[in-house]
Amino acid sequence: MEAEVIEAELVLPTHMKFKKVQMYEKYPKGQARGRQWKHLKHIIQAENYQNQPPDEPNYVNIGSPPSMHPCKRICDITGYEAPYFDPRTKLRYANTEVFKIIRSLPNEYVQRYLALRNAAVVLK
Amino acid sequence: MPFISQIERQSDYSRFSSSTPIVIDNGGSYFRIGWAGEDDPRVVFRNIVQRPRHKTTGETVTVVGDHNPALLRYFDCTRSGPRSAFDGNVVYQFEIMEYILDFGFDRLGADQSQIDHPVLINECPCNPNQSRCRMAELLFESYGVSSIAYGVDAAFSYKYNQKKGICASNGLAICSGFMSSHAIPFVNGEPVFEACCRTNVGGYHVTDYLKQLLSLKYPHHSTKLTWEKVEDLKMENCYIAPDYASEVKIFQKGDKEAEEKTRCWQLPWTPAPVEEQPSEEEIARKAERKERQGQRLREMAEAKRTSRINELENEIRGLDFLVKQLEHVPENDVPAFLRDTGYASKQEIESNLAKATQSLRKAKGEQVENEEKGDTSNAEKYNLLHVPDEMLTSEQLRDKKRQLFLKSTAEARQRAKQRKLEQELEREKQMKLEEAKRLENPELYLDLLRAKYQELSEKVEQRKRQKTNGNNTNGKQNGSGGVGRGERLNAAQRERMRLLASAAFDRGKGEDTFGRDDEDWQLYKLMSRDNNDDEDDNEADLARVSARLREIDPTFVPKSETGSPAEPPGFRPLTKEDFQILMGVERFRCPEVLFHPNLIGIEQAGLGEMAGISLRRLPSNDEALEERITKSIFLTGGSCQYPGMIERLETEIRMLRPCGSAINIVRAYDPILDAWRGASQYASDMQLFQQQTFSRDDYFEKGEDWLRGYKFRYTLT
Repeated sequence: MEAEVIEAELVLPTHMKFKKVQMYEKYPKGQARGRQWKHLKHIIQAENYQNQPPDEPNYVNIGSPPSMHPCKRICDITGYEAPYFDPRTKLRYANTEVFKIIRSLPNEYVQRYLALRNAAVVLK
Repeated sequence: MPFISQIERQSDYSRFSSSTPIVIDNGGSYFRIGWAGEDDPRVVFRNIVQRPRHKTTGETVTVVGDHNPALLRYFDCTRSGPRSAFDGNVVYQFEIMEYILDFGFDRLGADQSQIDHPVLINECPCNPNQSRCRMAELLFESYGVSSIAYGVDAAFSYKYNQKKGICASNGLAICSGFMSSHAIPFVNGEPVFEACCRTNVGGYHVTDYLKQLLSLKYPHHSTKLTWEKVEDLKMENCYIAPDYASEVKIFQKGDKEAEEKTRCWQLPWTPAPVEEQPSEEEIARKAERKERQGQRLREMAEAKRTSRINELENEIRGLDFLVKQLEHVPENDVPAFLRDTGYASKQEIESNLAKATQSLRKAKGEQVENEEKGDTSNAEKYNLLHVPDEMLTSEQLRDKKRQLFLKSTAEARQRAKQRKLEQELEREKQMKLEEAKRLENPELYLDLLRAKYQELSEKVEQRKRQKTNGNNTNGKQNGSGGVGRGERLNAAQRERMRLLASAAFDRGKGEDTFGRDDEDWQLYKLMSRDNNDDEDDNEADLARVSARLREIDPTFVPKSETGSPAEPPGFRPLTKEDFQILMGVERFRCPEVLFHPNLIGIEQAGLGEMAGISLRRLPSNDEALEERITKSIFLTGGSCQYPGMIERLETEIRMLRPCGSAINIVRAYDPILDAWRGASQYASDMQLFQQQTFSRDDYFEKGEDWLRGYKFRYTLT
């Protein structure tokens, strides 16, 4: 390691004096690391919130409901208010200039614009 | 202002007794750790871990937080980016959490065999029990902390500001963090989690939206738009519009006000060095070098030629000598003599001699009079042609066939030559005619020619457009039509498809009469025909006319050079403006996602509505209480710092509340650090704090289910 890297203590040591279980004991070299950590989705499933009293707050029931306001439609490219919708690309647009732009956009960019509002085609 | 990490190692760890709690604010973007009772956290760093590979030794190392980027040049970071322990606002990856805690305790100066202090650590409201248990396990088993308490950051921030008199004991905390935003009502100084509500938008989403929008707007600079840089841009430039629709109208009009509101980030750019003309000397030197090279090549060719001439001359001399000798040889010794020389017959020697002389002449550059010779020998060359087949042997028959072939090809060659000559004459005549026309009335002639050129070029252009389908009418040649949308066939292709389809269809049913008429077979000709030929004619004509125009019209510029507006960007010299990143609508479009999460596809209520939902969820349907709460709406968290936030929130909440109700919105004293400070203040009273903690023994005795019911009290008496 270079001197300046060591001086800045950039790298986290595997041995810590204050730890009871050292990192290299827990995750020996060459072995598959750790375990699979459950993602939030699976954590929530495992919590079985449906078995608990509904008036008790939990991670799921404190989530906000969908908005009651009408959905705001803005132009995907410019952010202006978008009265129009292009059925070919599925993009919303504000005026003719933007329409010209979206018709000349490569498909990849169209999909990236759609992905911004979670409307892109996702192949699984 | 961008946040700056403080990661110097503290030296006074041993000064604190083992009863002094350590306070940790484990936030989505920053990790803060320090001592209870102090005003500021000792160590602050970004809550991320990178595991790059060291370039020279190849070992994988762990780097926590954000370090001087210059030091990371020794590491190969391409394999893994920065990782966080969070999924949403819940800690799930405890391996990463362990690295972060290691680093935090290390920089706090811990040097004993274990961390023998109580720990107060923040978690999200209603943290899933599994995450809570894993955290407790980690803290107890790896670090040996004596006891733990879990609190909520927004509540600590509220309590801290309540002590400062900024907000009342009944109020509503709106905390907009990194991954999520919460609205938590407070009644009598205690948070009411039953009425709390959470939307999964936060600073992360704003930055990500800005980053995506800018890199879509400036694809050439997308590498410059790193997460850190965009975060800085967000903090510098973003604001919340009082009303999105009217704010965007200003930009749509595009007048002076919009210009003033547009911010620009100038990327580092240096003008390209002006290419200087090579000096006279240089040109001369180059020409000389070229000349020398040419000279050398010429010399080489000359040497090759002389050597070949020499060789041929020698051969001819030898053959001549042989022929002469042959004349002296008696008739019956000829075969023996020939056997010695290696030739089969006298004729062969002679033909070789003739060949050699011819090539010698060619090598010497003399005209080869092949033709006349051919003409004269025509009769004997094709001597077998006029003899009937019956009179010939099989060998002669073969020869006859060959002669026939040779003769016909020779004749065809002759004919082609003739035709060429005629065409040339014709063209010359036409040229003369045109020239005469031109001389007669130069102006009119030029005009006519121009008109013709115009017409032809339009025709060709149109044909091209049809060929590459209608998409590219704006002259863009970037191949955007090839993505599969709007593919149209041109007329010829359509006709062909129609023929194919009808042929296939007709053939399928009933009696097949195809081929009864010879006409039927014409179908295949139609099918296999590609594009029309007159297109090529047009192009050839166009080339001719433009060449002629170029000759006689000094002002003429061929269309293809001026007519294409979409030059590839590489041809235009890059200017300063090409290295600017402009932010107009983006400045308020991105933070708008906090109020309208559906802009980024999150189907949840925004900040304004959350306040209303939270009030509705309060168990007691008490008008007076709600009134008191709206008098003390408190903003905290990193994403509440945008200018215009308070004003916007007030209009949104005013829409939800009865007319004339009092609404008072305040921002936290320090929206970022107040959560840690509140926790520190809370834990400073160790006697009372101890009632809220649980120890390792408690945890193992009572089990995980007990932790589910663990409830932290924020008001201590």
